[in-house]
Amino acid sequence: MRREPKDGTLAAPAEDAGAASIPRREEEPPRELSSPREYLGVLVVIAVVTIVGRFAPLSYAAFGHIYLFTVIALSLRVGRRPALFAAVVSALTWDFVFVPPQLSFSVPDFDDVLLLGTYFVVAIIGSQLTARMRAEQREERRRALLAESERLHRTLLDSVSHELRTPLSVLNGAAERLSSAPPERMGALGDEICTATRRLDHLVANLLGQTRLEAGALRPQLDWCDARDLVASARRPLEEALSARTIRVAIPDELPLFRADAVLMEQVLANLLLNAARHTPPAAAVRISAGLVDDRIFIAVEDDGPGLPPGIAEDPFRKFHSSRQGGAGGLGLGLSIVRGFMLAQGGEVTAGKSPGGGAVFTVYLPHTLHTRVPEDEL
Amino acid sequence: MNSNPNRPEVLVIDDEPQIRRLLRLILEDGGYAVREADSGRAGLDEVARRSPTVVILDLGLPDIPGLEVLKKLREWNTIPLLILSVFGREGSKIAGLDAGADDYLTKPFDGGELLARLRALLRRIKPALASNAFHFDSVEVDFGRRQVLKHGQPVKLTSMEYALLQLFITHRDKVLTHRHILRTLWGPKAELQTHYLRTYMLRLRRKLEDDLDAPKYFQTESGIGYRFVSEPKAVAG
Repeated sequence: MRREPKDGTLAAPAEDAGAASIPRREEEPPRELSSPREYLGVLVVIAVVTIVGRFAPLSYAAFGHIYLFTVIALSLRVGRRPALFAAVVSALTWDFVFVPPQLSFSVPDFDDVLLLGTYFVVAIIGSQLTARMRAEQREERRRALLAESERLHRTLLDSVSHELRTPLSVLNGAAERLSSAPPERMGALGDEICTATRRLDHLVANLLGQTRLEAGALRPQLDWCDARDLVASARRPLEEALSARTIRVAIPDELPLFRADAVLMEQVLANLLLNAARHTPPAAAVRISAGLVDDRIFIAVEDDGPGLPPGIAEDPFRKFHSSRQGGAGGLGLGLSIVRGFMLAQGGEVTAGKSPGGGAVFTVYLPHTLHTRVPEDEL
Repeated sequence: MNSNPNRPEVLVIDDEPQIRRLLRLILEDGGYAVREADSGRAGLDEVARRSPTVVILDLGLPDIPGLEVLKKLREWNTIPLLILSVFGREGSKIAGLDAGADDYLTKPFDGGELLARLRALLRRIKPALASNAFHFDSVEVDFGRRQVLKHGQPVKLTSMEYALLQLFITHRDKVLTHRHILRTLWGPKAELQTHYLRTYMLRLRRKLEDDLDAPKYFQTESGIGYRFVSEPKAVAG
């Protein structure tokens, strides 16, 4: 693509993120054996039966029935052609190995011909049943996937339209009022417009991030980063959204630098901070800490809120998995992006309960040593 | 707006009419004359014919990619130039800065921010009389005596820290890429040694900023570099 994406073009890839492609991708039944392997399997089974049979003191007619059972068993597991193949091989082997004179082909009598005929009938009926069963299983799987994707799609549409419409209504309403509002209201209207655009901007950033993750288009630029700097830069654009919050930062002075993509890390931290702000009462404090444990750098965002609600706590990083409690809303993309970005940088993220019962999210990155920084004189 | 021949002229190269209209509103209120070009080719023509004072160039143009326009323009012209880009395209911003853009702004941008950037760009072409002193916040820098005071107390800076501070003040309000700073201070071989810069920035901030967890003057431009902001916006709280 030659052009930079304009804001308008973002809607298309974002919609694609709705997992609509899942059923198509998994339509191939995953557990079906490929044909050559089925033929090989048939040969192996018949060979084993034959070798074992050579040492069993049974009449040749009994072996005829043993082969029949073998064909039945095989036809329930393999496709139609391999089942017929099993019937042919079993018939020939039985005739050659067991029907007297042994180890030569003989013209079978009427009873034997009947038995051999049964092989083929059984092979055809058995494999037909198998095929039908498989088709049903496939259909069921497809329906389940479709239902899941429809659910995701509905959730996505609901939340996208909610998340987009809210700031758009604010923008529209405030802009319309601007021309007729008394001068003392102008400032407040302008502030509302700014808040709404920031919210839209953040939404677009998250949709873009998710799309990049899903398209595999994310190439982290790892470079030396300083935790304090990352936290400060992540907070800067959120000043307004977090203005009412008490945020305590505790990062030890001697914390070493680590390798990360600064831009991704900022979005990770911003998402965690906004997540804390969104899901806790306004009075709840947020604490950011960082440290080095077991050769890993961690940055933790901890809040005094009610903690993760049941239903979310099991997998808070799942896409479009957002609690709507107390009008908190959100697309449910924030934490999914946090995990995606951390994994892309060779790190990880965990969620847990803080000692005070609130939620704590911790991101980890490997710690490596950098070359010596040249020192100089005062 | 009456056309005053003394007003600096800004050429806006952007294919989106709405962005051009918005920029015209902001820029005319800021005391600039505005010319518009809706494509890279038209923009290059305008620069050649009118020689405006400053160029604002959108990187996502329909005919010639913005970066190409910039490279073509820089073959014969050193006019101050600001690129407009979108979120998540740090690579293209760095490429633009490396190709000779003087600064960048990410859409959606703030009108006040845009005017501040333009002021900084214009200051560069009309450098104030080489002043011997500079001050910001409670910090005073005396270049003649090579002395830095904070709250009236001398601050001991190493020669590298001092060189870094000097570089920032010379290019105040302008973005400096990691690569540019590293090359200037430690030489071309150190261009990729970002950890030098991170370490020294931390030390400089520790000595000169009031709140390390919310630096006001030495600001990080994520993934790109640093900017020394000479007049930070007053933020409540």
